[in-house]
Amino acid sequence: MKARRRRLRIADCGCLAIALLGTSAGAQTQSAISPAQGAPAQSAIVVIRNATIVPVTGPRIQNGSIVLRGDRIEAIGPNVAAPSGARVIDGSGLFVYPGMIDGGTQLGLTEIGSVPGGEDTQEVGDFNPHNVALTAVNPHSELIPVTRVNGVTTVITAAEGGLISGQAGLIDLMGWTPAEMAVRRHAAMVVSYPSLGGGGGGGGFRGPQRSDAERREELDRRTRSLRSYFADARAYAEMKGRVATAGGVRKVNQAMEAMTPIMRGETPVIFDVTTADQIRGVLALADTFGIKVVLRGAREAWRLADSLAMRKIPVIVGPLTSVPDADDPYDMTYANPGVLARAGVKIAFQTSDAANSRNLPYNAALAVAYGLDADAALRALTINAAEIFGVADRYGSLAPGKVANVVVTTGDPMDVRSVVRHLFIRGQPVPLDDRHTRLYEQFRARPRTQ
Amino acid sequence: MRMIAIVVVSAALGAGALPVTAQQPGATRDTARVLSYPIPPAGRLVAITNATIMTASNGTIPNGTIVIRDGKIAAVGANVSVPAGAQVIDGNGKYVIPGIVDAHSHSASEAINEGTQSITAQVRMEDVLRQDALGLYRELAGGVTTLNILHGSANTIGGQNATVKVRWGLPADSLLFQGAPPGIKFALGENVRQTNRTVLPGQERRYPRTRMGVEELLRDAFTRAQEYRREWQEYERGRKNVKRGQAAPMPPKRDLQLDALVEVLEGKRLVHCHSYRADEILMMLQVAKDFGFRVASFQHVLEGYKVADEIAAAGSGASTFADNWAYKLEAFDAIPHNAALMAERGVRVSINSDSDERARRLYQEAAKAMHYGGASEDEALRMITLNPAWQLGIDKRVGSIEVGKDADLAIFNGHPFAPASRVEMTLIDGRVFFDRRTAPTLEHLMELIRQKQGPRQVTEVVP
Repeated sequence: MKARRRRLRIADCGCLAIALLGTSAGAQTQSAISPAQGAPAQSAIVVIRNATIVPVTGPRIQNGSIVLRGDRIEAIGPNVAAPSGARVIDGSGLFVYPGMIDGGTQLGLTEIGSVPGGEDTQEVGDFNPHNVALTAVNPHSELIPVTRVNGVTTVITAAEGGLISGQAGLIDLMGWTPAEMAVRRHAAMVVSYPSLGGGGGGGGFRGPQRSDAERREELDRRTRSLRSYFADARAYAEMKGRVATAGGVRKVNQAMEAMTPIMRGETPVIFDVTTADQIRGVLALADTFGIKVVLRGAREAWRLADSLAMRKIPVIVGPLTSVPDADDPYDMTYANPGVLARAGVKIAFQTSDAANSRNLPYNAALAVAYGLDADAALRALTINAAEIFGVADRYGSLAPGKVANVVVTTGDPMDVRSVVRHLFIRGQPVPLDDRHTRLYEQFRARPRTQ
Repeated sequence: MRMIAIVVVSAALGAGALPVTAQQPGATRDTARVLSYPIPPAGRLVAITNATIMTASNGTIPNGTIVIRDGKIAAVGANVSVPAGAQVIDGNGKYVIPGIVDAHSHSASEAINEGTQSITAQVRMEDVLRQDALGLYRELAGGVTTLNILHGSANTIGGQNATVKVRWGLPADSLLFQGAPPGIKFALGENVRQTNRTVLPGQERRYPRTRMGVEELLRDAFTRAQEYRREWQEYERGRKNVKRGQAAPMPPKRDLQLDALVEVLEGKRLVHCHSYRADEILMMLQVAKDFGFRVASFQHVLEGYKVADEIAAAGSGASTFADNWAYKLEAFDAIPHNAALMAERGVRVSINSDSDERARRLYQEAAKAMHYGGASEDEALRMITLNPAWQLGIDKRVGSIEVGKDADLAIFNGHPFAPASRVEMTLIDGRVFFDRRTAPTLEHLMELIRQKQGPRQVTEVVP
């Protein structure tokens, strides 16, 4: 039922797009519509031949073919016949990867950092579990095409700040409306776990000066506040269950309603953390409330690698560009993912960015340079993230039946020198242009001045 | 005071002793007692053998040797023999590039913005350098050997720069790159206009608030500098021509701010100008032309690609980010093709960090010029070595691997632009300032915990 609805939607916008495009329909690099919205929908069949196919969940296929039909991958293999009427792409010398997944962005919620009018990244107050990121995702943000042309096709987007920041959405970076972009509207709840704040000072730039005791007190207060909120949410969920069984009616609390799937373990909670102390706090919280935990950031997670592996708690590491504290080894941020993966922790990556989420694979490259196995890094960029957010049946690798988010590159996507040559999101060819290529072409054509 | 410090330091180095130990970066409670950081000896004969040498000026030597004598490159090539007595660094499987030059840094600075007035040409970054700034060590670990430490961008004319070598662990005065021409920071656009600053109730806005005001301040400052120079010239003439019985003329009042600007007018001080939009870049070029000086480098210069011909014609360099954009309105037309496109139009381009974080991986940033706009590998390498050196006026000394140049080198475990590559060793003046084998890595720390607490305690298990 769901699948049919999606196909219908694609068919609908296909008519519109073809009407707009006129004769240029099907041309990979041309678009008569704003590329912010994505490619025109097409029901065409595409086959990419003679390429090295990297399915991630299976062995590499040299000189292989991959067939995309509708929004799905139909077939992969060394000897796949091209269906009649298929658009054929010669993949000689090229590599085919699944689209990469960024485990943490603010894409669609921000445009120009310094211009407040475009910022929907931070709500007032500490507890906003009922706020849904997808409500405010701007499908026409200039940042979206810039991200996808580098092979990042799917991202978690969410607000930040406070204690419970709101609900993260998992979106494909294409679509005319937020609903069309959504892979999962309620992918996870985001909790910004309290940390020991700074000492202030700095000529007033960092707020009033505070003593260590004051900072600890503030941390304790915020930690208690978070725990007690979870306790309230548990009570609400239990009561809701009992009332439902008894057939009664109860006053609805929007925030507590939003917490209910969390307390029932149906939706994971992303905890944004940095230090080992914070992670211990999250583990204690998980023990008390039986919630499904995903750690994010977690620069110091290596200190608890065995615990996390044993408890099967996944970690979305990154950004790898965060600088360790003064006392930490210089390469701690870079080396942390490798330690976690070797201990058996499931890892994925995040950029925690919007304008430069396109650098997701280069985050992974830094981890590889400092000890993460390259294949493990590729899994972290794709299938692991899909598994963490419960969509591995449709996303994260190249396999028949999966959603056709497909990136065709000149080489390893973690290598900055590699370039994306073709891009498909849900089987649709996506133009490889964006705000940057348009300005580049425009000014490259500027007549020389004497 | 400064003179004394230099004498003491050079005496210590000259003796070839190891007199200094620095606070070991990454020294935690687990490591502090185990590690110390010996400052490497100077003046040794060193040879790096069997390495792939990316010279930045003369292509790549696949299997070459570099000989270093007294801190300078004495020989480089495929058929160079290792002199007797040389300390040999085995470069087998390794890549050597010139030490990375970061043309825009605020590392090791105790403060960077004298933001009270919009013209503060009199303040100097070298007065606030800290040798113990951890950023320096982490930059070494990313192959960076030279920094252009700049005043912040709060002012139309900010303070005087400090060109330094990343001699981590030595006293602050010995960071200074001796012989580097002095420079100064200019800034245009949003920061100078204090566009994004919250104005507190009762607080007055600082002039200027528009890009027109920025130009007016520049012209006013340089007009004052011209008049000041004329006063001094008249004084000097008058002093020489004093007739017997006449009183010697009184010297004009010394003005430290205008002294620096006169040096700019006379081409003795390099202008590094923070800029974003094409219009303000053109304005700056016109002001410089009218007052007869050259802008050595436009910094950030995110819309430089729109006016690349004009920048090239003026002989100015451009030092930009690889792909930073959209963080403010004037950065919304920034494109990652900027570096490659400006280079294509004949501008000498560098890629800088402006950040202790990005500085650690400028090699990855440089590769983006290949990804966007298709710069060649050599061109991309020059963007973090020879080109920034040229912009800082030190390209005769550093920026490429050539005989006679300072032996500032970064040794990678693979191709510097490849995804699995990292810096193994960094040398400045032939001395090893970073060596990953002895560096305080996470692996090292985990090994220490293993030794101290047993193999099962490396990472704690919370039941």
